[in-house]
Amino acid sequence: MILDEADNVGLALEELKKGDIIRSEISNIVIREPIEFGHKFAIKKIKKREKIIKHGEIIGEATHDILVGEHVHVHNVRSLRATVKNKGNVH
Amino acid sequence: MKEDLSGYWNEDGRAGVRAHVVALPLSSFCNEAVERICDSIAGVIPLTHAFGRNEFGLNKQRLDSSLLKTPLNPNVHSVLVVGYEPKSTNEYLESFRRLSKKRIESVVLSEAGTLETIRQGARKVLELAVSCSERKREPINFGDLTFGLKCGGSDTTSGIASNPAVGQATDYIIDKGGTAIFSETTEIIGAEHILAKRAANKAVAKKIYAVAKSNEELAMSHGVDLVGTNPVPDNIKGGITTIEEKSLGAILKSGSAKVSDVLDYEQSPPARGLYFMDSPSAAQAVLTALVAAGCQVLLFSTGTGNPVGTSVSPVVKITANPMTVAKMSEHIDVDISAMLNGRMKLTEASRNIISATISIINGRVTKAEALKHREFAPLPAGL
Repeated sequence: MILDEADNVGLALEELKKGDIIRSEISNIVIREPIEFGHKFAIKKIKKREKIIKHGEIIGEATHDILVGEHVHVHNVRSLRATVKNKGNVH
Repeated sequence: MKEDLSGYWNEDGRAGVRAHVVALPLSSFCNEAVERICDSIAGVIPLTHAFGRNEFGLNKQRLDSSLLKTPLNPNVHSVLVVGYEPKSTNEYLESFRRLSKKRIESVVLSEAGTLETIRQGARKVLELAVSCSERKREPINFGDLTFGLKCGGSDTTSGIASNPAVGQATDYIIDKGGTAIFSETTEIIGAEHILAKRAANKAVAKKIYAVAKSNEELAMSHGVDLVGTNPVPDNIKGGITTIEEKSLGAILKSGSAKVSDVLDYEQSPPARGLYFMDSPSAAQAVLTALVAAGCQVLLFSTGTGNPVGTSVSPVVKITANPMTVAKMSEHIDVDISAMLNGRMKLTEASRNIISATISIINGRVTKAEALKHREFAPLPAGL
């Protein structure tokens, strides 16, 4: 499921396995690792420090490069708000 | 949809959807006496808590506010106060009587000891319970009600299904002349710009940015990284990565109405419409604050499930997560999980929420009421 056309992540509405193919209007996405129900995966290539977009809004930034079909979660995304490490980013 | 609503008219012209007798300890020393009194007399609700001695500053303000305003909720018919010593008990009674004509009785524990307090308290509350049982339901309208909106145990399904459905139900309530309050300041961080666009005027938009900023600064002043505190581990397990993501889903429960104003902690809305209340975010603390602000009914959307209830107001628990329906059915009042595979549309889901809410207003017990989940949590200042 993709919530907004600006999004670079999709949502798994069922558990996805490595090798599953998600067909969308633009391209087919090959899932690279197991994605739990309700979790996010990259639908575009995301570079380190690039913003993660869901609901058409910024939900954080990538801490590593993320490939299409990879799990997107706390291991490769950080919040831009109220995180002690990121004091400089708070407006 | 059948829309006849009924409730109990109080002398002050406000309507309750329940008529409860409550027993309130002013200090945690009095909890035992209050619990024994409530064991003895049917239908009396204990408002026990862990505080009431030596608090100061903002903690004392918040505690005093919760202790005074919870029994003022229109769902409360009458009150027994169990104080520890005469001075603070009398001050409480004076403040209460300045604000309400409700029946209030009191016992002071330091004057008599726990056993005698139980005997005197039980006798007094027995009379209140008999008088309360004579109350009759009469017609009321949405305009007589304030709804509290809360999401808890959030996961991905909250942001894409249950919060949007509650949001549409909120729009319906506001259209019908009702009032609604949403809250949890931490959970607007990252979504302030969207709420600010819905503010009734520039001053309200400014207040929205200001409360979010001060909440964020409070977190950072404690050296706290919000990840792990909010979102909590069950949010993260459910697929929520950051506070921004959680907030963008959370604000959807407030629907699309204009935000009339930002209320202080436990402040009652001055007029009808939709309000935001500045408050902490833990479920039991927010619900306590919403009840103290006068909410007679609470709509609670959950992803991973949450058992919480309140002392005096019914909590309508709504989920769109099929696994939660399977695991936690005794905590769910409205199952809208068919939204996820497209078998239930948003409008149908919100109609189901409204229809269940109307039944609950009219007396159907919620799962939390049936399970006696009566969390009452006046909390020290925090996130």
